[in-house]
This record gives sequence, C-alpha cells and structure tokens, in this order.
Amino acid sequence: MCDTFQVTAAPNPDRTRLTHSLVLLLPAVLFGLLVSIQWRTQSDRNELTVRYNTPLLDAAKTLQNEQATLKAQLADLRAELDQIQTSASTQTDAGKELQARIGELKKVAGLNERTGDGVLITLDDARSASAAKDVEKSICHNTDLTDIVNQAWRGGAEAIAINDERIVGSSSIYCVGSTIMVNGTLMSPPFSVVVIGSPNDLLATYDDPAQLRDIKQRRDVYGLGFRVSRASAMHVPPYRGALNIRYGTPR
Amino acid sequence: MRSNAGVIAVTVVAVFLGVLAVTQIQAQDVYSRSLQLETPASLTTLIANLSERNNAIKDEMLDLRHRTDTAKEAIASGKGSLTEAERQLSQLRVFAGMSAVSGAGITVRVDGSFDERALSDLVNELRNAGAEAVAVNTARVGPRSWFGAMTDHTLTVDAVAVRGPLQVRALGAPEVMYVAMTRTGGIIGQFQLIYKGTRFDVSRESALDLPALATPLR
Repeated sequence: MCDTFQVTAAPNPDRTRLTHSLVLLLPAVLFGLLVSIQWRTQSDRNELTVRYNTPLLDAAKTLQNEQATLKAQLADLRAELDQIQTSASTQTDAGKELQARIGELKKVAGLNERTGDGVLITLDDARSASAAKDVEKSICHNTDLTDIVNQAWRGGAEAIAINDERIVGSSSIYCVGSTIMVNGTLMSPPFSVVVIGSPNDLLATYDDPAQLRDIKQRRDVYGLGFRVSRASAMHVPPYRGALNIRYGTPR
Repeated sequence: MRSNAGVIAVTVVAVFLGVLAVTQIQAQDVYSRSLQLETPASLTTLIANLSERNNAIKDEMLDLRHRTDTAKEAIASGKGSLTEAERQLSQLRVFAGMSAVSGAGITVRVDGSFDERALSDLVNELRNAGAEAVAVNTARVGPRSWFGAMTDHTLTVDAVAVRGPLQVRALGAPEVMYVAMTRTGGIIGQFQLIYKGTRFDVSRESALDLPALATPLR
C-alpha cells in the first residue's frame, strides 16, 4: 500500500517543470500585454507632446485666464452703459418705452440672471471598472450636452446654464481633443446642467423613453453618469460673452 | 525550496499584474480628460478658438466704450440717449431672433437622409464658427429653438416641419464659416461618411435674408 503510494506520489521532474511553466505562462502573457498597452499609452503622449506641450499649455491657460478677466470687464461696461441709459430714459416717455423693450429682450436673450424651479441634470464620465470596456461610450461628449440642451428647450425650458455658462442663441458646445468648451470656456466633467422651467414638463420630456436613448443606454450598460432631478430656487447667471453682431443688419 | 521559489515568482508577477491593471485603468481615465495630455494639434486648435473668442470680446469692449462715451456726450448736450438705446434694441432683436436680418454668410444644402441630432450638431458647429443668425429653410433658429422629427422622419424646428432638401443659412463671416464647415475632418466631412447617400454643398453668400422667429419669445 505504502509502496504503491510512494510510487504514484513520486514527483516526475519533467512534469513538475511543465506545470510550473504553465502556471506562469498565463500571468506572464497578461503581464506582457499590459506592459505593451501601458507603453503604447505613454508613447502616444511622449515625443511631440513633451517637446511642444509645455508652451502650448501655458498659452492655453493664459488665454483662458484672460477670457475670464475680459468677461468680467465686459459685464462692467454693459452695466455702466445700462445705468446711463436707465437714468436718461426717465426723462421722456419714448425713452421709458425703449428701456422697457430692451429689458424684455435681455430677459429672453439670456442677458439677465434668472432664478426659479426646474430640473438639475448631472452628466459625468463613467467611474466604474466597466468603463474600460469601451472608453468612447463611457465618457461624456459635447454631443451629449447638445442633446440634453435640445431636450430642455423641447420641454419648455426658459433658461439653461452648463457649469455656470448661460446657453444663449450664439452658444456653442464644442469639443477639441477631449476638452469641452461652452461659450469658449474650457470645461471637464462632471457637468451640472441647470434648467429653469416647469419641473413637471421637463421631467416628463427627460423621462420619455423615446428621447436621449443613446445616453440612457450608455448609462445602463457602461455606467455613464446621467441623472435628472427636480430642483427648486436654482440660479443661472447672465451670458457674459460677446453678442458679436457684425454682419447682420436688422430689417 | 524549489516549490517556494515558484510561488514567490507567481506572487510577484500577480502583484505587478494588479498594479499595472490599476495604473492602466487610471491612465485611461486621466488621459481622456487632462488638458496636459492633449496632443499639440488639439492644443493648437484650442488656442485658436480661445484667441478668437477673446478678440471678439475685446472688439465688443471697444465698441461699448465708444457707445458709452457717445451716450454721455449726448446726455450732457441735452439730446438724451435715445439713439444709443435704439441701437441696442436693434442689436438685441437680432441676437434674440426677434427681427428679420440681412447680411453675408454661407448656405449649407442637405439633400438626402439626415436626422434631428445631426441638424442640431450642424447648427452648433455654425454657432461655434461665429454665426450671428441661423435659419433652416424658412424657420429662424432662435435662442430656445429645438430640433425634432415627426413619425415619418420629417425634421422639425420648434415643432414646425422643415422638408428636404434643407437649406441651412447662417449669417456671419463667410470665409471663416466656410472653412470651419469644409476643413479636413470637419463636420461636413464627417456627415459625408455617415450619410453616404446624402449630398452636402456649402457655398459662400454675399447677401442672405433670414426671417424673424415665427413665434416671438416671452
């Protein structure tokens, strides 16, 4: 019995070596795979990136800071002109009427701040492990924001702001590389979209299964962050950019 | 002894594997969003875009300073500031889509299948290129306009049908908008790849007449 046991249990050196090799093979292959992916990810960023990115980054940051300063100065100038006009308009009936019409237009054009009830939408890149399955579908794109804004107007929104940038008739939500710009302001997720309007109408339009199907599907499958909730007493700032009417002449 | 060495080797490899897997997932997350990791080409485009925006604000500031001085002088001389108020009113009426407007620009003709998201993207792209006013066929696109589709796939602007072939007219700097639309890798190039049977034509226009919003905003 014992002899038999000893015979069957005796290690075969070749077989043991083969087993060890096989045990190490799979991790080694995965190790090599990950090293190569990591190396490729890094190598995409090196060379040109290292040489030129520092001055380009500095230039981009300087311009972004300059834009914030310019927008504040532009707001001050608008306020100064408004004050002059308001005090002058009280002198005549025609002046008062003009000022009232300007005030009404500013309201609908998005040049005044607004406060009211509505919905708050949050959009964010997926943060779960499943995101790695398909990065493109797991992150938010500028087109997701344009779809969300389009849906808000469809639902009767009166005012919208994305991360404190007011959406107006000239607004664009643009994407360069992986950076999103709203009204020329650089942004990255998470995005807070404040929508002022009837909360019930807005919730109904976002809950409609026929709308925003792509975003909802990516939320369910890839973990994209997308949430719509009722909110009250929200604030949207006025539009702070240029009106930029240079080519158009009213008829 | 030999068996222990094997276990240690496997453990070391497994630890490295775990560290690399985590690093890779983190690298992908950061890579997608860090300005530092944008390519030089993207950063250059970003800088051009920021410069354009800043220059537009500077131009408007110059204009506002001039108008403020003019209004002050008019009030001081007893004329009042009605002229400045009228000018501001007409500018706001264009900005809000409340008045018909004329000027130079471009027309994008779309003949074939197209959808509401693409139409929304096209208008977004035109606005980014500096469009001051946009109309789809005879429907003016306003600050709160939205794009949809009917059950027969006819596109709508503010719930009003716009039937193809579509004419998307944008008022603004013709050359700037033309190049923004037709550049390699631009939106028209992307549309041509996606909507293969659809014909897209972009033309510069010296005079366009766009209508006002059909329903004034309140």
